[in-house]
Amino acid sequence: MSAQRGIGLLLITPLGLVLLVAFVLPVLLMLPTSFRPYTAGGPAATGWTLDNYTQIVTDPYFHEVLGRTFTMGAVVTLLCLLAGYPLALVLARAQPATQRWLTLLVVFPLLLNLVVRSFGWIALLANHGLVNNALIAAHLIAAPLRLMYNLTGLVIGLVHILLPFMVLVLVAALRAVPRDAEAAAGTLGAGPLKTFFLVTLPLTGPGMFAGSVLVFVLSISALVTPRLLGGPAYKVMATVIYDEFLASLDWPSGAALAFVLTLIALIIVAAAGLLTRRWTAAP
Amino acid sequence: MTAGAIAWPLRLAAAIILAFLMLPVLVVVLAAFSTTDYLTIPPAGWTLRWFVQVLHDPVYLQAIRFSLDLAAAATVLAMAMAIPACYALHHCWLPASETIAAALLSPLVFPAVVIGVALLQYTAMLGLRGNFFVLVLAHAVIITPYIVRTALAGLAGFDPALEEAARVLGANRLSAFLLVVLPGVRASLFAGLVFALITSFDEVTVTLFLLPPGQATLPVTIFTAIDLGVDPSIAAVSTLLILATALLLVVVERFAGPRRLL
Amino acid sequence: MAELVLRGLSKCFGEVTAVAGVDLTVASGEFVSLLGPSGCGKTTVLRMLAGLVEPTAGAVLIDGEDVTRLPSHRRRLGLVFQSYALFPHLSVFDNVAFGLRRQGVRGAALTERTMAALALVRLGQLAERLPRQLSGGQQQRVALARAVAPAPRLLLLDEPLSNLDALLRDEMQIELKRLQRELRITSIFVTHDQAEALSLADRVCVLREGRVQQVGTPEEIYHRPASGFVAAFIGRSNRLPATVEAADGAGAVLRLADGTRLATAARGLAAGATVAAIIRHHAVRPAAAGLAGTVALRSFAGAQVQLVVRLAGGGELVAQCATGTPGAALAAGDAVQLAIEPADVFVAPDSGTA
Repeated sequence: MSAQRGIGLLLITPLGLVLLVAFVLPVLLMLPTSFRPYTAGGPAATGWTLDNYTQIVTDPYFHEVLGRTFTMGAVVTLLCLLAGYPLALVLARAQPATQRWLTLLVVFPLLLNLVVRSFGWIALLANHGLVNNALIAAHLIAAPLRLMYNLTGLVIGLVHILLPFMVLVLVAALRAVPRDAEAAAGTLGAGPLKTFFLVTLPLTGPGMFAGSVLVFVLSISALVTPRLLGGPAYKVMATVIYDEFLASLDWPSGAALAFVLTLIALIIVAAAGLLTRRWTAAP
Repeated sequence: MTAGAIAWPLRLAAAIILAFLMLPVLVVVLAAFSTTDYLTIPPAGWTLRWFVQVLHDPVYLQAIRFSLDLAAAATVLAMAMAIPACYALHHCWLPASETIAAALLSPLVFPAVVIGVALLQYTAMLGLRGNFFVLVLAHAVIITPYIVRTALAGLAGFDPALEEAARVLGANRLSAFLLVVLPGVRASLFAGLVFALITSFDEVTVTLFLLPPGQATLPVTIFTAIDLGVDPSIAAVSTLLILATALLLVVVERFAGPRRLL
Repeated sequence: MAELVLRGLSKCFGEVTAVAGVDLTVASGEFVSLLGPSGCGKTTVLRMLAGLVEPTAGAVLIDGEDVTRLPSHRRRLGLVFQSYALFPHLSVFDNVAFGLRRQGVRGAALTERTMAALALVRLGQLAERLPRQLSGGQQQRVALARAVAPAPRLLLLDEPLSNLDALLRDEMQIELKRLQRELRITSIFVTHDQAEALSLADRVCVLREGRVQQVGTPEEIYHRPASGFVAAFIGRSNRLPATVEAADGAGAVLRLADGTRLATAARGLAAGATVAAIIRHHAVRPAAAGLAGTVALRSFAGAQVQLVVRLAGGGELVAQCATGTPGAALAAGDAVQLAIEPADVFVAPDSGTA
């Protein structure tokens, strides 16, 4: 047994070491930085301060950014749930041949580059983009709708990116629902709609929850899509961090915000895990 | 739901949602053939000149080369580290194997932007800013969860009796692994490998912070190009990327089956 | 071939004791069966022999060499898995050659010995096939060939016939016995099927809850079971709750629930004790005189006829007669007298699981 323990440790050491050195350590090292005051042009500074954190709580600018980030996260999650469920249902219940096709079509956008996808949305949503041109040509509107550089464009783009994640989680959850339970409901007099709401939906509850947590955490951490579709002026947490590190070079402030983002993400994931375990635990 | 039959409103909804998923992809591909200097859909005319321009543009070519090098290096490193670890975890040679496995998957939900800035500061402190190997390590960290997930799933589905049979027949642990286990899980490993490659190739968020001066990966190049102004050459290079991804996906599905994709 | 000694072999999984102090000696060339119900530890013993499970205590000695801590791949054993465990990505030939290759055998010698092993199981013509192209019986024979090709000193078989249908099983039983004799290889096989154990083995080791109940030749196990459990496990028996009415040095008298009295040759019983009487079906014989009863059910099973007889006192006994005997001609409703030899009445300590 202990020989196995030793070999096991040996086998996992390279990975563990790299994760420690290239992941855990760098993140932890940001903590001291976040307590330093701002000096223009880099991290080197002396003295400690809580300003970087307090400003997040007191400054209305940060309130706006955080509010925007969470609103965006909530809206995106809800839309992904509403749009993802029907697609997941069809995928999970399809015949094997169709299932292959559908799986490929759902997984394909996942593998496709974020930038390319956002670019496609820019082409669609810009003032001279496809959607506006089509609407104007059809005389449905006179002036172009503002679909980009605001929450709308951002939400559309993020839903597009994160929908496949939700679909895949839901498909797994649906697969775990015993078909017999639905058939039984049928024999007891419940029509397809009733069966869905009384049997299928509740049984996929944990799956919906897991998918929602995943989508929410990924959307509040998103950088590329908000930057491209929201533009440099429309800021969420991730883009603020990006700007503070690469534009204004206010590393301490950026570090503090990064930590707050990380903490929120970790707390949500941990809480979700605990809740799930409680809900699915045997009585 | 009666067995087999799916109500048509549901099918319609699913079709619309699928169309939504495919829409930007279609738009990009169509725009790449446009004869005009700006995007119109449907294109005013059809031309391949943007593709020609992209394939001769040294900036794009260098970016493709850089991305491929980076993806290959990161994937090889990640596979070399992850597979032995997964083997040990699968056989529960470590305490709290399940917790460790979950921890190995954590980079998936961890905010990528935080990893990016953390490594930026870290490399600045160590004087390694812009170092290629650091970039490789960062990518390896990010793609490891994909390999861990598929490797563990593959090992879990592998009949343990086969490995035992090999051992009793005289193969030591390493030989048994190489001769019997690896061939048995190669489909899963292949899927994991392709996903890791694609993920590394596509990675933008962390890469933005760690690029060596004067170099860029393809996605970052496209990213900065968009900031400067949108034109069909961006659509063309994006279309090439779409084609390559689609091809790889089909190859994986052929070789490993649709189940491994989920 | 090799002599095998198990000394005090034990295995605990946490709080659960799967195997408790098994002692067994297997002579060179012997064919021994480990027999017992599911969960009795027989497979665990086999896996400890193979080196796939580390014993908690005890020792395994092959030809005097202590191999208890030796890793599997150095023990030079052959193991046939219940699921056959053929390597799906290798052809039949490569499967069978696997062990030889590990020993460093190459070229002409490799081909010769592999084909010889395949010839033993008469599958030489399928050498290029893949396992998934073979039937269950063929896969089993390939598994056998693969195990014996490297000339192991011991052959271990884990329920080798349980996945085969009845007809194939009978064929394979004969094949297995023939092979073992021909190779003169010391063999241990695990089974829960007592008929299989009795017909194949030179000696049978009966296990229950990790402990050896009895070791002996099939005849000894069958005719002189050492305990009520062994008596009940081997052959088909009646099991009747009873109390001991009187006991002496030569036997005892049992009183069944319905008042019927049975004489038993079992000794060492205490008067008044609650026991279970175990009587094999074929030990219950329709005769001229004995316990009176009526035939309630008759079922025909080819070579045998089974009769369920309701006794005068209300209890039931199952009797088994060979086709052609007068008892086999009885029909439902007929009156019958049942004779039971006291030596055929075994006693288990309680009327529970015993």
